[in-house]
Amino acid sequence: MGPSAWIFGAAGAFIGVVAAWLVSQGNPGNMGLCIACFLRDTTGFFGGAKANMGAVAYIRPEIIGLILGAAIAAFATKEFRPRGGSGTLLRFVLGFIFMVSALIFLGCTVRAWLRLGGGDLNALYGVAGIIVGVSIGAVFLKNGYNLGRSKRLPAPLGWLGVLLAVVLLGLALASASGTAPNGFTVTKAKAFATGTTPPAVFLKGPDGTPSKILKPDGAMLAPDGSIVGADGAVVASAEAVAKAKPQPGGKRAPIAISLVAGLVLGTVAQRSRFCSIGGIRDVVLVKRFDLLFGVIGLLVGAFVANVALGQFNLGFENQPIAHTDALGNFAAMAVAGLAAVMLGGCPFRQVIMSGEGDADAFAAVLGMAAGAFVAHWQGIASSAKGLSQLGWPALAVMAVVLVAIALIKRERAA
Amino acid sequence: MAEVDVRGFSCPVPLMRTKKALESDPEKITVLVDSGTAKANVVNLLKDSSYQVTVEETAEGWTITGTKS
Repeated sequence: MGPSAWIFGAAGAFIGVVAAWLVSQGNPGNMGLCIACFLRDTTGFFGGAKANMGAVAYIRPEIIGLILGAAIAAFATKEFRPRGGSGTLLRFVLGFIFMVSALIFLGCTVRAWLRLGGGDLNALYGVAGIIVGVSIGAVFLKNGYNLGRSKRLPAPLGWLGVLLAVVLLGLALASASGTAPNGFTVTKAKAFATGTTPPAVFLKGPDGTPSKILKPDGAMLAPDGSIVGADGAVVASAEAVAKAKPQPGGKRAPIAISLVAGLVLGTVAQRSRFCSIGGIRDVVLVKRFDLLFGVIGLLVGAFVANVALGQFNLGFENQPIAHTDALGNFAAMAVAGLAAVMLGGCPFRQVIMSGEGDADAFAAVLGMAAGAFVAHWQGIASSAKGLSQLGWPALAVMAVVLVAIALIKRERAA
Repeated sequence: MAEVDVRGFSCPVPLMRTKKALESDPEKITVLVDSGTAKANVVNLLKDSSYQVTVEETAEGWTITGTKS
């Protein structure tokens, strides 16, 4: 085991520990760090209730921190290089597909390992899916698949990632009071929602009963504990109110903590080149094991920190933001793993590289945001109950598109 | 003497092509890269394959030279 394996292992463990700690600071369960979820939540800020994203609308400061941290690290080491033009449009499509399949699994390739490190055994099927998807991608690579060379770009194009982070930072600070600027949406911190449609949304008081009804407008708490609409009809029964779940977008660490954690993780990821799919890919493809220690470290770090923080919960049922459809979990992560290999790195890497001046990675990040918007707007994303009706058809179509891209972008003389 | 130009390629193409060039067991190998990640990966691969490695920064990126030690 060479020194690079130790570096990857230590970086992965550090990321896993910080992610688990962020959960204790308020982030959703097993979601201290999830690139797909956090890009989705950030998209929700723009999409809002119109795109069925009212419960997941919050600019995650971790994303801002990751991009800026990576940019600072890249500058300090003279690795910031404006570049792009390697299948930029296809990278948008690959990012889109990655995101939609991640939202069918309920987490990206980073969160799959974090879920496992929190005891969520459904993630075992996800990890198996990643291994299969990555192995298929390795076969494509072996047969000459690549998106071509990127070229040096005019400086402004390399700054798009940093620009996005700065704009998001401004909007995040403007809505830090909890009220979104006009036209945007922020899920209320610590808001709870009932599972009924349309849901009742409320804040809980110290005694665990609703202290303030947020939705629907004009609804009130009845003496029997149910929520009654302005027209007098029951919106949610007392039982539904008692069973209400926190809205994911309302679960968050304080903004300063999220931002600083993002900056630190962005620096660590840029320097270490941590990747959540590259380890498996390199083992399959070039028999190199060092990068694999990144995800092993991530898993061990998250596991140890979750146990230490009392957050470890072993089992399949009642896991936070997860469903128990084994085949769905497997297939969704297989598609996501393949898309990530075809991009040349996991979504975490795409975010980091968009801070390093890589306009192609930035296109992948935009594709992920677009995928999140469509997945929620069209109801493709899964819920705790399982896959939506569109889940399987979407996975099938996306798998076909990936294979088509892989066959088209084949360089025969590789 | 082998020369590999992997400038502009995403992971893991730089690693794959360098590894392929090492199959002929060259005394000396030069690899042109233009991303920090490719640089780190190729340097690690060459060191693990018993090469002495020097890295030179150029306008286009980095030139990595490995000499059999």
